[in-house]
Amino acid sequence: MAKRESTFINMVVTLFAVTFIAATALGFVYNLTKEAIELSKLKAQSEAIEKVLPEFGELGDSYKVAAESSGDSIEFFPAYKNGELVGVAVKTFTNKGFSGFISIMTGIDNAGNISGYEVLEHAETPGLGSKMDVWFRNVDKPNQNVVGKNPQSYKFEVSKDGGDIDAITASTITSRAFLDALVRAFEAYQKVELPSESRKN
Amino acid sequence: MNQWKNFSKGFIKENPVFVLLLGMCPTLGVTSSAINGLGMGLATTFVLLMSNIVVSLIKSLIPDKVRIPSFIVIIAAFVTVVQLVMQAYLPALYKSLGLFIPLIVVNCIVLGRAEAFASKNNLLTAAVDGLGIGLGFSFALVLLGGIRELLGSGKLFNITIYSENYVTLLFVLAPGAFIVLGYLIALINQIKKD
Amino acid sequence: MSNLYTVSPSPHIYSDDTTRKIMYRVVYAMIPALLWSVFVLGVDALRVTLIAIVACLAFEYIIQKYLMKVKPSITDGSALITGILLAFNVPSGIPWWIIVIGALAAIGIGKLSFGGLGGNIFNPALVGRVFLLISFPVQMTSWPATRQSATDALTTATPLGIIKEGLVNGTPIAQISKDLPSATDMLLGNIGGSLGEISALFLIVGGLYMLIRKVITWHIPVSVIVSVAAIAAIFWLVDPQNYINPLYHILSGGLMLGAIFMATDMVTSPMTPKGQIIYGVGIGVITISIRLFGAYPEGISFAILIMNAFTPLINTYIKPKRFGGN
Repeated sequence: MAKRESTFINMVVTLFAVTFIAATALGFVYNLTKEAIELSKLKAQSEAIEKVLPEFGELGDSYKVAAESSGDSIEFFPAYKNGELVGVAVKTFTNKGFSGFISIMTGIDNAGNISGYEVLEHAETPGLGSKMDVWFRNVDKPNQNVVGKNPQSYKFEVSKDGGDIDAITASTITSRAFLDALVRAFEAYQKVELPSESRKN
Repeated sequence: MNQWKNFSKGFIKENPVFVLLLGMCPTLGVTSSAINGLGMGLATTFVLLMSNIVVSLIKSLIPDKVRIPSFIVIIAAFVTVVQLVMQAYLPALYKSLGLFIPLIVVNCIVLGRAEAFASKNNLLTAAVDGLGIGLGFSFALVLLGGIRELLGSGKLFNITIYSENYVTLLFVLAPGAFIVLGYLIALINQIKKD
Repeated sequence: MSNLYTVSPSPHIYSDDTTRKIMYRVVYAMIPALLWSVFVLGVDALRVTLIAIVACLAFEYIIQKYLMKVKPSITDGSALITGILLAFNVPSGIPWWIIVIGALAAIGIGKLSFGGLGGNIFNPALVGRVFLLISFPVQMTSWPATRQSATDALTTATPLGIIKEGLVNGTPIAQISKDLPSATDMLLGNIGGSLGEISALFLIVGGLYMLIRKVITWHIPVSVIVSVAAIAAIFWLVDPQNYINPLYHILSGGLMLGAIFMATDMVTSPMTPKGQIIYGVGIGVITISIRLFGAYPEGISFAILIMNAFTPLINTYIKPKRFGGN
């Protein structure tokens, strides 16, 4: 086959054909994977919720509350067992991390205690700040554990700043950010009225 | 042309990372673990293979003056396919590779092979070349990622080898990538010389 | 030695200075500060120094003999200096294996990868220190308390660490100052810190010795210290609530150690006095910028490494005058 000449018409037709075929193919793949992407996102979210809350039967409708200090919002996922509210998972965040944004799913039970947390997204230094995914739920170290504590009776600040929680060694900034996210979740939690019974029952 | 030679050149003789020094951005950016290196390497291999095949097939249909934009569109299409599929079926890997997947589009190796090789060779040769170079790239990334993961977090393919208390953190951070890459290139040069 | 046969254009001036003699003068200059650190921090300081020296010499020998296949040059004293400087840059309580890794980074990466003494772009001891600081941030920032310290704490913070921590929390300087050691304590070394950074006084004594023996000239140390002091003073005068007295910046941390012993390394600093002043001011400006605005409380090691990278450029533009030229 002889190479096609670079005439204007040839170039336009070729570029159009290439982009058209590429776009069609992409649209096709997009439709194929759309559902799976949604599912995997939801699955990641519900797995995180399961990890931070005590056993529950079903999730109620989630709703968002705008955070006071910045444009981002905090999302609530109330959880019910046999129609009774057992706790609420709160998707919270902070911008004060060593590398900026951190997103955390935290669980708060009916008594107002933190029932667990799961770091969803962060860019902290590996080996230092990234330790927060296990540091604050170490049962053997009561001074650094936040699980089972109520932010009203404990001061959720690092001990260096006069709080009750020990910071990650050499990662005070990440620790402050982490606690900032939890406090933000808790303050928002105190302000919302959660339906105490599942509407589905 | 000897297809085996064509295939195997990507590993040492014309290794895109250690010898051609192309595609440094993902090489340095994602290789903080062997798994990340493997994921990135295989994603690039797929794009290389597919774009080499397509470019080789349509090479005579494309007028010379618009060949680069056409190649880029083809490559970008395959990269987007990889991105969507990975997001759907390998969300954990997608999360850790993140930004670097779209960046395969501008990886010099992919465009370089399309321009310098696939557009001048037949289908089979181009496909074998894409596969060889891609696997050579994967090999380099896994090697780099494996060394960094082992020294920097005490693990290999996510299996703990030794205690985290003895790891040299520098290796999973950016400077570690440069240092390890430097010594690997020195080593490959030494091997090639002998 | 092969460099005896190096032929350079005339005129020739005879000098009995050899690499070895100069290196040992530097070693003598470090002895007062070393002895003082052993006195203040106890036997641990001696342990750290010995491990660092032995490891540096061993790596120099092994790598030169078996990897580079050249005649080992461990007796020229440069690896000895690297060892002592590396020890000066770490806390006294650091585990032995971390020192060994630091020595490997200093000698292997910092020096021999570039071809050995004279070929290295960066100060080897600082490469070792920064390597360790990034790799082992916990161990590298746990400073055992000095012998004379009044509290019974096991570890302590450096004065710069206290200031940084306080300012991040929004504590005014007046309040922070209560936790800080006095200027006399800092001059004598009764503060938390790495081996070599705790006593400004003994570092200055060593520096004066090197000046008298013409190992170094005044340009680099003075320009580093003056530029740090000047910038710190400006900030302090404008806003004494949030910036500490410049005296603290000069006496605390590794400023003296860096300015006198590490920035003046012959291989990695510019050749001409004018170039040296530019280099020194650069180090001073970067150091104080990191101290005031960066994430780390101390920045001199990064500053010296950055300016090391500029040295070839400075040497290109500010050339020594040709003999007899205008």
